[in-house]
This record gives sequence, C-alpha cells and structure tokens, in this order.
Amino acid sequence: MFTYYLRLAFNSIKRNPILSALMITAIALGIGASMTTITVNYLMSSNPIPHKSEQLYYVQLDSWSPYEAANDQNEPPDQITWTDATNLMKAKQAFRQSAMASTGGVIEPAGQDEKPFMASIRLAFSDFFHLFDTPFLYGSGWSDSADSNREYVVVISKATNERLFGGENSIGRTVRVVGKNFRVVGVLDEWVLVPRFYDVTTGPFHETEEVFMPFYMKQELELTNGGNTNCWKSPEGEGFMAFLQSECVNYQMWVELRNDDERAQYMDFLNNYVTEQKALGRFARPLNNRLSNVMQWMENQEVVADDAQIMMWVSFMFLLVCLLNTIGLLLAKFTGKAAEIGLRRAVGASKTDLFNQHIVETAIIGVVGGILGLGLAYLCLEGIKSLYGEFVQNLVGLDLVMVACAIGLAIVSSILAGLYPTWRACNIAPASQLKSQ
Amino acid sequence: MSQWEIGPIFRAMMRNKVGAVLIAIQIAMTMTIVVNSIFIINQRAALMERHSGIDEANSFYLTSTGFGENFDPKSTTQNDLALIRSTPGVVDAIQINAIPTTGSGWSMSFQVEPGEDKQDEGAAIYMVDEHGVNALDVNVIAGENFNANDIRWRPKSSRNWPDIVLITKAMAQSLFPDTPWQETVGKTIYISQTEPMIIKGIVDQIQAPWVGWDDLEHVVMTPEITQFSSTRYFIRAEPGQRDRLMPLIEEALASSNKQRIIRGLHSIEETRERSYRGDAAMIKILSTIMVVLTIVTGLGIVGLASFSVNRRKKQIGTRRALGASQGAIVRYFMLENFLISTVGVVIGAALTVGLNMLLVNLFGLNAIDWYYIPSGMLVLWLVGQIAVLGPAKRAANIPPALATRTV
Amino acid sequence: MLIMQDVKKIFRTDLIETHALRDFNLQVTEGEFVAVTGPSGSGKTTFLNIAGLLETFEGGRYELDGQDVSHLNDKKRSQLRNEKIGFIFQSFNLIPDLNLFDNVDVPLRYRGFNASERKKRIEESLERVGLANRMKHLPSQLSGGQQQRVAIARALAGDPRFLLADEPTGNLDTKMALSVLELLKDINRNGTTIVMVTHDPGLAQQAQRNIYVRDGKVSEMGDVVELDQAANG
Repeated sequence: MFTYYLRLAFNSIKRNPILSALMITAIALGIGASMTTITVNYLMSSNPIPHKSEQLYYVQLDSWSPYEAANDQNEPPDQITWTDATNLMKAKQAFRQSAMASTGGVIEPAGQDEKPFMASIRLAFSDFFHLFDTPFLYGSGWSDSADSNREYVVVISKATNERLFGGENSIGRTVRVVGKNFRVVGVLDEWVLVPRFYDVTTGPFHETEEVFMPFYMKQELELTNGGNTNCWKSPEGEGFMAFLQSECVNYQMWVELRNDDERAQYMDFLNNYVTEQKALGRFARPLNNRLSNVMQWMENQEVVADDAQIMMWVSFMFLLVCLLNTIGLLLAKFTGKAAEIGLRRAVGASKTDLFNQHIVETAIIGVVGGILGLGLAYLCLEGIKSLYGEFVQNLVGLDLVMVACAIGLAIVSSILAGLYPTWRACNIAPASQLKSQ
Repeated sequence: MSQWEIGPIFRAMMRNKVGAVLIAIQIAMTMTIVVNSIFIINQRAALMERHSGIDEANSFYLTSTGFGENFDPKSTTQNDLALIRSTPGVVDAIQINAIPTTGSGWSMSFQVEPGEDKQDEGAAIYMVDEHGVNALDVNVIAGENFNANDIRWRPKSSRNWPDIVLITKAMAQSLFPDTPWQETVGKTIYISQTEPMIIKGIVDQIQAPWVGWDDLEHVVMTPEITQFSSTRYFIRAEPGQRDRLMPLIEEALASSNKQRIIRGLHSIEETRERSYRGDAAMIKILSTIMVVLTIVTGLGIVGLASFSVNRRKKQIGTRRALGASQGAIVRYFMLENFLISTVGVVIGAALTVGLNMLLVNLFGLNAIDWYYIPSGMLVLWLVGQIAVLGPAKRAANIPPALATRTV
Repeated sequence: MLIMQDVKKIFRTDLIETHALRDFNLQVTEGEFVAVTGPSGSGKTTFLNIAGLLETFEGGRYELDGQDVSHLNDKKRSQLRNEKIGFIFQSFNLIPDLNLFDNVDVPLRYRGFNASERKKRIEESLERVGLANRMKHLPSQLSGGQQQRVAIARALAGDPRFLLADEPTGNLDTKMALSVLELLKDINRNGTTIVMVTHDPGLAQQAQRNIYVRDGKVSEMGDVVELDQAANG
C-alpha cells in the first residue's frame, strides 16, 4: 500500500509542478535558514569539555572598589589579581588548580634562515594539562617542582612543533622564546576548543596557544600582559613588581572539585581567604566570591553572540512563515483535489486510507525540502564563513547530529504543516463531489 | 462606492476563513521580520558610518617587536621614525600605543576633582609626540598642540603621567558639562584619581579604538613616546601612495634592524572592515532573509490567489455575465487581498512592536522609531497588491461565456 | 428589439474549424417570449452567448435595443449586459459564499446604484420570487427550484429589457420546472422580452414563438415568414 501511496504522491506532485516546487522551496529555505543559525548557536553554546565540565570551576573574587561593583548587578570582576592568583595557588586547597594568564613573545628558530616569529603564550601551572585533559603527542606537562623552581620548560602546540622541528619528537630540545632558552617537555596534539573556555576575556573563539610555560615566568621575565587588564585603582609605586602587586586583574583561575562537598569546602576556603585579606586592608566589598562550572561560566560570559541568537530567532520566524505558506498551498492543492478525494471515498477508500495517502505526499515534500534545505544550510555556512572571516571556521561545520536534525526538523515541520490540510481533505463527503454542480 | 464590494467580499471571506487567516498571519509575520530587520540594519549602518576622525583612506600601521639582549627600544624608535618620516610619499608618522578601529588600547578614568569616589569619565589614551595631530589628521580647535619639548620617554611599567594633555571636544563636554568647551583649555583634570594634568588643547574629533564602546569619542592624548620592546607605528601617506608604501616601509624597517620582527602590517581601511565585519555581516544576512522572506510570502500569495481564481472560475464567469467589467474583476481580487492584508498588517504592527520589545529586553537593542510601523504596513500592503495582480488579471481574462458552460 | 443579420461564429483549434453559427438571422421584438430549440451542438448556446454579449462573433451584424453592438469593447459590452440583459443559467450559477441578498446584489453593484436603491430592488425582486424571508440564507440551504428563483430575482433586479434563459429548468424536476416556467411567463406578461434556449420541445411550446436552430442556422419553421419579412424590411 505504501508504494501505491508513494506513486500517487509523485503523480500528484508532478501534476502541479510549480506549486510543488514552491512548497519544496519554501520548506528548503526555512529549513536552510534555521539549520544555519541553529548550527552556529549550537557550536557557540557547545560544551567544550563534556566529560568534566561539571567538575571544573572558574574562580571569581570580589576584590573591586569600595565605591562601585566591577560589573552591573554586583558582579565580581571576571579575573583575579596576581596577589590572589599566587596566594590561591600556594594554598592548594582544590583537588587540582591552575591560575593562568596570556602573553606573547618572539620565538627565534634555531636555523639561521628561519625568521623569528611572534607566538601566543599561555602561562599556567602544571595542573593545567590535567585539568583540561590536553592531548599530548609527545612527552607531558611539566612537574609541580618546575612551577615553584621557575624552570625554563615549555609545552608547545603541534603546529609550533612542526614549524620549529619539522614535526619530530622534540622532547628535550631547546627553543628560544622571549630571548631565553627553554627545554621542550611536551608537544600537544591537535587541540581545538570551541569555545576556548578557559580564557574568554578577549572573545570566546580564539585558538589554543602556541606555547605554554610556567606561570611564574611572568614575574621572572617581566612578560607583557595579554588579554584584558582592569584596575580600579592605579598601582602604588613604579616598576613591574608594583604592577604585579596592584589591584589590577589580569589572571584567570580554574579549579577541579570532584563533588559538592569539595565545592562547598573550597567555597569556605575562598571566603576565609577573603576575610583574612580584609584584615590586611584589601577586599573592601562584602563577601561576593563565585565558583562557576564550565557551562555556567560560558553563560555568564555570554559566549553565544547576541547577533547569533537574534538571527536564530529571526530564522525560526522565517521557517514559521514558510510553513504557513506550505499549509496554505497544501490546503489549496487538496481542496483542488476534492473531486478525486470524493471519488476515492465513493469507491470505498476509508478516511485512514486517504489520510495516509496525503500524509505520504506531504512527507515527500518535507523530505525533499529538508534535503535541499540541508544543502542550502551548507552554502549558508560557507557564506557566513566568508562574511565573518576565518575566526568562525570552527563554528560553521555541519556534523552528523546537525544533518539528522535538519532532516528531522524538515519532516516533522512539513508533516505538521500537512496535518490540517490533510484532515480537511479527508473530511470531504464521499458523494458531494460526484454530482455535477 | 457601490463598486467597492467590501461588505460582500468580507462576508464571503468569513466562510473561507482558513485561507485568509493563513495569508494574514504570513503577512503579519513577514512584516514583523522585515520591519525589525530594517530597523536593525539601519542602526548598524549608522554605526558603520561614524567617522573615526583619522585619514582612513591613506593611513596604515605596523608593529615592531624587539627581542634579544641587545635590543634598544629608544634608539630603534628614533631611527625608525626618522626613516619613515623621510620616506617620500609619507605625510607624517608617529609611534602610538593604540589606533582607532583596531579594538585594542588603553583606557583610564579622568575626573575634575581629585580624590576617591568622585564623578569620573573614561577615555582612551593615545600616546603621541608633536607629530600626532598631523599624522592622525585631527585639528586643534582650541589651545595648542604639543611641542617637541613637551614629549617625554615613557619607560616600561611606568605608572605616572605627563602633566599636559590634549582632549577631544566630546571629552571636554563630558568632563565640563557646564562650561563651553573652548574655555576648558588650561583647566586641570585628574588621572589615577589624584594625578593632575592640564588641558593644553582641544582636538575636534577622533575615536577610541573600541568601535562598540559607548563613549567612543572620549579620547585623551598624552605627549610621550614609549620605550617598550613592542611598539606600533602609524603612518599617514599622501593620497594614492599607501599601497606602494606599505610593503616598502615594512621591508625598510625589517632590514634596518635585525633585533626585532615587523608584523601586523594593516591599512586602516582593512582594519575598519574587520572591526565592523560583524555588523556588515548582520546587515547582509538580515537583508537576504528579508528579501527572500518577502519573495516567499509574495509567491505564497500568488499561489493561493491562483488557486482561489481557479476554484472560482465559474463564479467569475457569472459575474462577468452579470455585467462585471474586467476592471471590476481585478478590483475584486485586489480588494479581497487588501482586506486580508489589512488584518495582516494590523496584527503585524502589534507583533513588530512586540518583537522589538523582546529584542530590547533580551539584547539591549534600541526601541524602534514609530515611523517604521506605518512604512512597514505600506510596504506589506504593496507586496500583497503586487502579488495578487497577476492572478487577478488572469481572473479578468476568464471569458464570460464560461457562465453558460455546464461543467 | 434584438436583430441578428448574417452572424457568423467560428471556433478554431489547430486542426479544425467549427462553424458554430453560419449566416444566423433572427429578430426578436419587444415583449416577445421566444424559445430557441435544436439538437445539441446545433449552435443554440453559441447563439445565446452572442445574444447575451458573452461572446464576440466574426461576421454579420447584431443590433440590441437599437444599438449596433458588433464592434463594442469589453467594457462597453459589460455595461450593456449589466443594464439591458438578465441571465438565467441551467445550473443557477449562484455564488456559494454569498447569501441570497448578496447574490442578488452582485449585478446592482456593477450598475452603480447606491445602497438604499440596491436594498429596495433586492427586497422587491426577492419578494417577487417569494423568497424575501430567506435573504440571509446561503444558496446551499435552498432547493434547486428555490435557487433558480433566486437566480431569476438576480436577473430581474436591474430591470433588464431582455431576459436570456439557458435551459432554465434543465436541472429541476417537473414540478419545480413548471413553477419556474410560470414565473417566467408572468415576467413576460409584465413586459420583459424573454429568449429561452432549450432542447425540450414541451417547454418550448409554452413560448409565444419557436425558433429551431440546426447546423448553426435558423431552420424554416413556425413563424419563418414573419421573420423573413422583418429581415427584408
């Protein structure tokens, strides 16, 4: 029976080619637009580290001015000071922890012909690699002692390893960064994070860094400030140390807390720490410390761009209009088939038969529209890439989930659109259309 | 007025509500999307039209980052500036810490009274020498430009400031709302809450580096050259010389000193394009959606009207037999569509305001200007009328003799 | 007066030319009740279409109420149809979405009468066919005979000089057909000229004069002599 319905559906679609094309196009356009914006939003809001996003917490301490909050609605600053970063690291009260900062510096390749180049650098502690389960191609992160002893060690990205060492196992080799020789202890494998959640202060979709080095190198080598630096009061005194000891925030802090107990304990620790600091004349504001897990932090930082959300809602409305369009056209089409339907009923087709027949027809339009819409979404995503440039390239890939979603959405929405016209068609009385007017 | 069959058309429509309602909702939603899109597009376009204040067409910049033990920032900057300024085709060049439209820079708070918890205004800091005004193509409209003696070398990690500044007119007006801006020259303002600075001059207009910032024209220029290992040069070329000079100066600097790398060579035009790329993309995407949606809705109306004409062939023939001219038939369908559209645009007006309110609440957009609503209604009315014209003309061509044909 | 002289009508397709009317001659005088009969395909519907200005013709001359209508444009023809001619169709041709009042209203709108004039005429004409109490009903709520009465009311509302009826009783049973016929006769007695096309000889006999159409021409029959005289005079 199904193949019979299929044949009827194809005949019916062929009989009204322009109308059918119009319906398919409408669905394809609606699906295409929705899928494009859903994909962008889905990737923007995707969980970059699903297996432990609930155990990783971003630390915020309200070290801001007594006169005003750092952000609206009494939000604490989004980063912490050097003083607090180093104090929290010394306290080591979490299962794992790493303060971090971004900087940059020139790498001088060993070969005479190779030009020096600027590299992005992440300053972190040894736990960084365990916190975020970074994939290693060769070697591993540095040891705890390397942090405290301020050893000249680095972990480099796969691309940097290829650029400097032709992709060989470079563990133990020397690389000259910011004018100093560092020993390579690890080479990362491809590490793509969307969003790059551990530091979103200058935008959530930057790539992971080219070089990772111990945090205290900041002080040791007086490295420049990457990212954002915000101060509510100016440093007291001149020089690099004065800046480090100031109330300027430029550092991020992540901790791993395996369960609610650990989380509660760590929160207590933070509150105690701030209370102690108050005694030293810092932290003029009321206690306002935060621990946000990965997805909470992404939400707080509004990682999904407003424009992307606006476009998604607009495209949903667009899809709705396309569906209304399809409902109207199907209604018109099925009404036009009243005579045929009356005849079929007269020769014994039940309402269910007719319902199935027309739902099959609707579904075919939906599937074809969905597939075309998918193609359209692919083109649109390419278009978005060209409009926004390379930095969105990780945000515009269609994966299997999305493909399945697109086809599902197309079929569901076209069947929903087809239900009412089909129901109306099935309720045409058997004889009414046989009598000539 | 008797030819305008509003009553009968309306009563006939009420017996075929679904089709009419579908079109009305489509029109309403299309209007909602189109009007809100146009509003957003206009807002973005207005943002993009703002002038940065500098000679965008002829300016470019690059970064010099020194490395190695022997790198001397001071002599490097002096030599570099001498080299660039003597290159034919260069109008002027400066070392500067930040540049309009680039998106990265320094901001500080300034206040009129010294001390904690006083009213303050944020401003971007541009550290320039006496060439700054000429290189950036701004005009000193009150007071005076810096002279060579005003300029100091700013050491790395320095936290104090020169004692004179140039500020923009917009900044002067924000700091001294009750004083005419011309009279703010010579007044003292405070940086870092207590450190005094005297306003030496007022410049007409220049933007801060962050195009999304509310106080975009709050700029303070300080007379200093930085002694950092990484510095930026901003170069203003003579008209038509920019593209020739860009690679030339990059190469000249790179070969003059091997203790540094030259990177980040960009024209302001290119930077501006990148800074506004999100807005430009939003404009293009919304325009596309808007146009496609309008076409879809229009075609939907064409489709439904065609069907309705086909279904009413006999009726149209009868009307013709009863004396309807072709014009009367066209009028009938146009009027029918107009009635449906009217319901649609009235609902659309409400939805448009609703969506705008939602966007205002969720995304901090501006409230829509009232005249967008009637304009949108007019456009959608027109779309409906144009869409229905074809089917209506086909209806008018149905021969009156159809009335006597027995189907 | 309705005068046709040597009227020709040819239907062309790619393959064939069909002469629906050839040298068709006919004269209907004021106040007559004429029945046009003939086998199917004889051209009687084509005659009715041309007489009612629903179709154009190729050759000859057609004068309606003293006016040569051979070369009028569509707008003028529509206006003439509206003012001078009332139509009654075999399948009633009521507009299903409109109630009786609005159905009768249709030609009056095209006439340009004002609202009170239209209301008066609609009520009068529905009164005349005995359906004044059902003005708000839809056609589908009426029997076939009642529907045809509404159609007659619609045809009469504009006070036309001519009433053209195309198989007016073709879709009705005998009893209803008789009552419709009586109504037509009554209308004729009040001065309206009626031309009725039918294939039913019994019905045709009720008219004052019968015209027999065959192969697109008026056949010699009935008051042919009178017709010839008129044509020659």
